[in-house]
Amino acid sequence: MKLLKDKVAKLSFVALLAASSAAMLYTPTAAAHGEKSQAAFMRMRTIHWFDLNWSKEEVKVNDTMTVTGKFLVFAGWPETVDKPDIAFLNVGIPGPVFIRAGSWIGGQLVPRSVSLELGEVYEFKVLLKARRPGDWHVHSMMNVKGGGPIIGPGKWTTITGSMKDFVNPVTTLTGETINLETYNLENTYFWHTLWYAIGLAWLAYWVRKPMFIPRSIAVESGKANTLITNTDRQVGIGFIVGTIALVAMSMVSTNEKYPVTTPLQAGLLRGMKPYEMPARTVTVKVEDATYRVPGRAMQMTLKVTNNGDSAVRLGEFNTASVRFLDPAVLEDTTGYPDDLLAEEGLTVSDNSPLKPGQTRTIQVTASDAAWEVYRLADLIYDPDSRFAGLLFFFDENGKRQMITVDAPLIPVFI
Amino acid sequence: MSASQSAVRSRAEAVKVSRTFDWMILFTLFFVVLGGYHIHYMLTGGDWDFWTDWKDRRLWVTVAPIVSITFPAAVQACLWYRYRLPYGAVVCILGLLLGEWVNRYLNFWGWTYFPVNFVFPSQLIPGAIALDVIMMLGGSMTLTAVAGGMAWGLLFYPGNWPVMAPLHVPVEYNGMMMTLADLQGYHYVRTGTPEYIRMVEKGTLRTFGKDVAPVSAFFSGFVSIIIYFLWHFFGRWFASTAFVDGENV
Repeated sequence: MKLLKDKVAKLSFVALLAASSAAMLYTPTAAAHGEKSQAAFMRMRTIHWFDLNWSKEEVKVNDTMTVTGKFLVFAGWPETVDKPDIAFLNVGIPGPVFIRAGSWIGGQLVPRSVSLELGEVYEFKVLLKARRPGDWHVHSMMNVKGGGPIIGPGKWTTITGSMKDFVNPVTTLTGETINLETYNLENTYFWHTLWYAIGLAWLAYWVRKPMFIPRSIAVESGKANTLITNTDRQVGIGFIVGTIALVAMSMVSTNEKYPVTTPLQAGLLRGMKPYEMPARTVTVKVEDATYRVPGRAMQMTLKVTNNGDSAVRLGEFNTASVRFLDPAVLEDTTGYPDDLLAEEGLTVSDNSPLKPGQTRTIQVTASDAAWEVYRLADLIYDPDSRFAGLLFFFDENGKRQMITVDAPLIPVFI
Repeated sequence: MSASQSAVRSRAEAVKVSRTFDWMILFTLFFVVLGGYHIHYMLTGGDWDFWTDWKDRRLWVTVAPIVSITFPAAVQACLWYRYRLPYGAVVCILGLLLGEWVNRYLNFWGWTYFPVNFVFPSQLIPGAIALDVIMMLGGSMTLTAVAGGMAWGLLFYPGNWPVMAPLHVPVEYNGMMMTLADLQGYHYVRTGTPEYIRMVEKGTLRTFGKDVAPVSAFFSGFVSIIIYFLWHFFGRWFASTAFVDGENV
């Protein structure tokens, strides 16, 4: 029995050692943002990001890069998610590896929350200044109050250099130029150290005397009043008077040193200027849509009518930031992230130019491993089994027009 | 040695043991309070204490003192009524601030690289000294609640102003005016803390114009009085000794 106990104890110790070592030695960086875990219908039916561009793939500390693009606030916004009456244009990065030097929607700076209209397209730009070296996944992102973060496509970006060299100069309205990275730091340390020292002094005054056992005995025996002496009272008065005097004096001297201060700024920005997309001359009706689970392919039957004056072809289907392209019509030259790009993922039963005035029913198949990798196939488990996305048609002159589709999706399991 | 014999053999040894107990209890008290109070304050004060762009003249001034007077009131009750030791509030705040600084420096700066000048904790020592001294001088829970609780609320904003004022200097940024604290919140990206989550400058207290901080501080003081009573009784209850009759065990 003892042998068995010893063996269990020994093995337990080894297991504990192994677990501790594994926990300490293997600490991978969490670099992505859980975008694949977000419900598929959220990504497909809320904010549609398109025309995304990351200006650089490698950037030095203190240099800047931009993330630009457009987003459609989908008209068929799901009922289970709060509408974007209060939203905030964000970026999905692992902490402040960049600082957000600026962000604009429709040319308007948006440091605060904004109100967005369903069905509108907005152009955005985020200016980022590199701060911390490393390889970082940089996403566009829209936070929606009551809806949570709605993350857009992400691209790997490398920051080189040293964080020690990072500076963040800002000129105040009082004419002073400061480095916001280190501004006010010494002042903060000074006051916190001073007050901590005063607190410790009060504690030290009491702990130098016998504390718990003798004082407890005195209290229990009815001698509590003898435990606070006149000296204690005088010291106490000194502390409270000194504290109030120090607070008052520091407040006065601070107001003299900083005569111009303003309250924190807050508020909702309304009336964001939408982006005018080219007039739509193509109409699309979704006859049916299925998702073939074994084949990782979505098939739509579309009735397309061309009411314009130039023949059109379908070039792209974009849903949840995954782009399915027909290479005969469109090739990506923007450096869009590979994992979100199905360059040959769009198959159209008849993608010959659809002439003006013509109507055609076509079978469109969007197939790629991205359905699984990005967990879009999980749509079939969502409470409202509908899909949505953007169709991009191109005319003979290369002009593009965007059509939104939104329809029920039937899964096919066999 | 039988159970009826003393564990110490001389007065000198008794004093030594007593002092050893003092340090052991104080050490334990300090770190237990540090842990419990820190969690409590992070859960209730949270973002108001984490970020400079939450430290406004209305809600931060109101909320932070109300949610932070809790542990000082309870520990003060225990230390005063059992031992006549008037440092319950100060020992709580020293523990809280140590925990907060360790957290802000190692986690917020060392781990996620938010600059310390953006994430430093609020200052609570002046109010704690007032609370302890009033308890010592008056020896009364009611007086400490009323005068101390009010002082706790009133001293909070001016006690923090020397550190906060430099961050309220205005700046013009791409055509908009904001404070340096606002700019910190905008520059240093927080993916999970969008701007609309900030609870600053909200409410209907507009009659007093720009002088809203003293009104907020008075209101905070009033509510701190009530919270002091409540948590003081928690402390009294926690520090009570209940003997169970052997026959009922």
